[in-house]
Amino acid sequence: MSHAIHLGATLRLLRVDAGLGLRELARRIGVSSAYLSRVEHGLDAPPTNERLGAIARELGIPATLLVDVTHRVNPFVASYLDEVPAARTLFLEIARRGLTAGELARVQAFIDAELPGARRPVREERAAGLAELLAPERVVLGLECSNVGDLLDVAASRLARATGTPARDLAALLRRAEDDAPGAIGSGLHLSRASVAGAAPIASVVVLGRPLREATPDGLPVRVAVVVVRSRQGGANQVQLLRVARLGARGLADALCDVRRPSQVIAKILELERVR
Amino acid sequence: MLSGWFHGPVGILIAQLVIILALSRGLGFVAARLRQPLVIAEIVAGIVLGPSLLGWLAPSVLAAVFPAESLQSLKMLSQVGLLLFMFLVGLELDPKLLRGRGRASVAISHTSIVVPFALGALAAPFLYARLSSPSIPFVSFLLFIGISMSVTAFPVLARILTERRLLTTEVGAISITCAAVDDVTAWCLLAFVVSVVRASNVGGAVLTTFLALAYAAGMLVLVRPFVARMAARVATRDGLTQGIVAFTLVLLLLSSLATEMIGIHALFGAFIFGAIIPKDGALARLLAEKLEDVAVVLLLPIFFAYSGLRTEIGLLSTPGSWGICGLIILLACAGKFGGSTIAARLTGLPWRESSAIGILMNTRGLMELIVLNIGLDLGVISPTLFTMMVVMALATTFMTSPLLRWIYPGERARDLVATRADEGEPFRVLVSVSHAETAPGLAVLGSALARSSTEALLALHLVRPQDRASFHLRAGSEAQEALAPLLARSAALGVEARSLSFVSGEPAVDICRTAEAKGVGLVLLGRHKPLFGGTVLGGTVRAVMQEASCDVAVLVDRGLSEIRRVLVPFMGSGHDRAALVLARRLLESSGAEVTILHVVSPRASESSKRQRVLVDELFPEDTHHIRLSIIEHAHPEEAVLDEAKEGYDLVVVGVGVEWGLNDALLGRHRERIVRDAAPSVVVVHHALAAAPPVTESRSSSERPASVAEAL
Repeated sequence: MSHAIHLGATLRLLRVDAGLGLRELARRIGVSSAYLSRVEHGLDAPPTNERLGAIARELGIPATLLVDVTHRVNPFVASYLDEVPAARTLFLEIARRGLTAGELARVQAFIDAELPGARRPVREERAAGLAELLAPERVVLGLECSNVGDLLDVAASRLARATGTPARDLAALLRRAEDDAPGAIGSGLHLSRASVAGAAPIASVVVLGRPLREATPDGLPVRVAVVVVRSRQGGANQVQLLRVARLGARGLADALCDVRRPSQVIAKILELERVR
Repeated sequence: MLSGWFHGPVGILIAQLVIILALSRGLGFVAARLRQPLVIAEIVAGIVLGPSLLGWLAPSVLAAVFPAESLQSLKMLSQVGLLLFMFLVGLELDPKLLRGRGRASVAISHTSIVVPFALGALAAPFLYARLSSPSIPFVSFLLFIGISMSVTAFPVLARILTERRLLTTEVGAISITCAAVDDVTAWCLLAFVVSVVRASNVGGAVLTTFLALAYAAGMLVLVRPFVARMAARVATRDGLTQGIVAFTLVLLLLSSLATEMIGIHALFGAFIFGAIIPKDGALARLLAEKLEDVAVVLLLPIFFAYSGLRTEIGLLSTPGSWGICGLIILLACAGKFGGSTIAARLTGLPWRESSAIGILMNTRGLMELIVLNIGLDLGVISPTLFTMMVVMALATTFMTSPLLRWIYPGERARDLVATRADEGEPFRVLVSVSHAETAPGLAVLGSALARSSTEALLALHLVRPQDRASFHLRAGSEAQEALAPLLARSAALGVEARSLSFVSGEPAVDICRTAEAKGVGLVLLGRHKPLFGGTVLGGTVRAVMQEASCDVAVLVDRGLSEIRRVLVPFMGSGHDRAALVLARRLLESSGAEVTILHVVSPRASESSKRQRVLVDELFPEDTHHIRLSIIEHAHPEEAVLDEAKEGYDLVVVGVGVEWGLNDALLGRHRERIVRDAAPSVVVVHHALAAAPPVTESRSSSERPASVAEAL
């Protein structure tokens, strides 16, 4: 099954979170703001890899991560396959066996253990994974509600104590961020975020019992919401958001659809994140 | 003689302190009964101890206890107290109040200085001719009268507003901002006036003004960033070390010394230094906490006593001088009250609100006394005029509370209703539905309560976690099954409820958390009449009551289908008041008829009068839907059960041992009202009422004094 994260909606989310105006970003990467706006609303084809690279630079995120989300073959992978043709056979084998995320994680573990020095300098982010930001008490299962606002309120009620912010205020922050840039980024995933001064980064995951029919870029109803709260906007934060978006591309909503315990949710996410 | 007993000056001083503290606290108790601020008691205590009363009745006692030679040490102590106090006033002055204020506040605060100042200046020639000597320059006299007319007591105002829960209202916000602005302006003017009075010639005045400006600039440019850095360090480390306190005190004293040497009073330096300490960090709060008790409880009464010792009511011996005194009071009120009221009215506020602002601004309290003492020390005003002005300060402060209650009475009740619902937000109810069977009654009550605004009713159903079957397929239907009857019933009653449901292993915690995130004013739970054992106020219900930050109501349903007649048993606890507020909502939204059954225990009848007042306050108008019956009964529970037989639809009762309803873990009660009453019962728990109210109101008058209270 394809899990297409909507690149445009994700870009908009990251841009707004970085505090950049549409015009400002367009100017910096040398395109018209009308074009960038069309991209963000999915009305224009996704930008080329070069442009994505420029956008990534301006947003302070690794280009490879952004390309990953777009479901294109990473140019770095493409050049490696050209260099070492034998690798193609291995990829083909993986594809033929249809390895799941869990099985790929085992392959990753094997590589990590046996070939530790071989990692190429694709130094990805240092930001913590989503699983590390979660705790069972911040996982909500089976939520049925009538709009995103209710969803954000419930998430806020779980996040309030750990951030030291009254739930009401936190909910207001989340709603405001939602107004600035909608969190629906496709593939059934809703990604919300708020900045609270001095808060250590934490997250809440809400699995919906009844899919929420709101305006999503790909028309699929929202089934999972991830809410991230951290201290301030900035580079590492966008990386964190992008990594959650990539989880969506890896099928987060499907993976969580039949879990019954909060701890299982965290385990599933850990598994999806194991392949770096 | 008496003075022999005290073994010298130290003994006398200690004896004086004992008398001053005991008398002002004792009178403070009386003042609290009269709903007057403590400052009234302290001023009166000073006057009583002085020549006006004690010196008049028993001059020998006065001479023994307050011999003339001891006054010097009393004066010095009172000055130290004032220094600390002005520092505290500066500490409490939040620059946020001065910035970003609306057009209304600007207009009102300027008018409330200019008009009384002008009136004072107009009266100055008249007063100068009668009560002053030609040796005092007329300009100094005129400026001084103007200043003393335009003072407002910021701290006493803050306290009155807090007590009457007006701080968050428009009236409160405007008054507090105006008072802060007035404070700063008045002190700057006073510093200017003092420099003018003290300077012997024009050159001296110019030099003083120049030095004062240089001082202010130095404080803002050099000292303030330094203090800010220090404050930041205190905020990050926990606590304030004694070293830092000592260092701050040295800076405070240096600042005061500087202003004293410049020739504008030492108090000014203390005030400015307090004002430049950053208010967002912990430093200001911690310093205030540390200094408050010593400054306000111990030292400030000395100032009042000293000031009272200099007040000689006896000087106002002729009807003429009383006439002048009356004229001064009239002018002061006309300027301050009239000026602020008209300015507020001109900015578009209704008359009632405008006059409330005027009344508040007319409070002079301790600030006026400080100004007057400076004037007397400088010799600008004579002892006679000083006495008249003290009487004026006393009168304007005294009239504030009663006038405000008279002009602005409904406010308190309206505010009580809005208790926890956030400022300006509509009142919303969270109904937690555990079983579909409890839904119809909850729908009736919830709809009646939430009728006032849209999206006011939120229905929550928490699903138990299940490991077995794929509950996702079932959970959807379970939530809908549980919530559908409530949604349907409330829709039929014309209220659209929103629904919310999720899996929860800790329902009580999740109910409270959701209520908080949603900002609801009331959590409504359903409960069945317990069959055997088991209490209504147990389990989840008790947990919610103890953890929720808003009021909680539990409905024990006996087929509630309509709410026409409501019975509210009342003995005065905080929970009882919350029950009254809930009943009031029912009255307002659905025209229910409310009967308040005020049960008076034969033993404790002295507190009943106050509670009678309370009931009147909560239901100021609407008399034909309210019936108040007061009965004396040794067993309140029985009284309620008897009355409940008279055909009521609903009994709304506060939690409390007096009703046999206890939310504490220990001490089971038989909950007879819940079990035996024929109609449905709602048990209300108020979030803030841990203690029963009779002791509550008493303890509030005895809580540790704060700066605000001193005025």
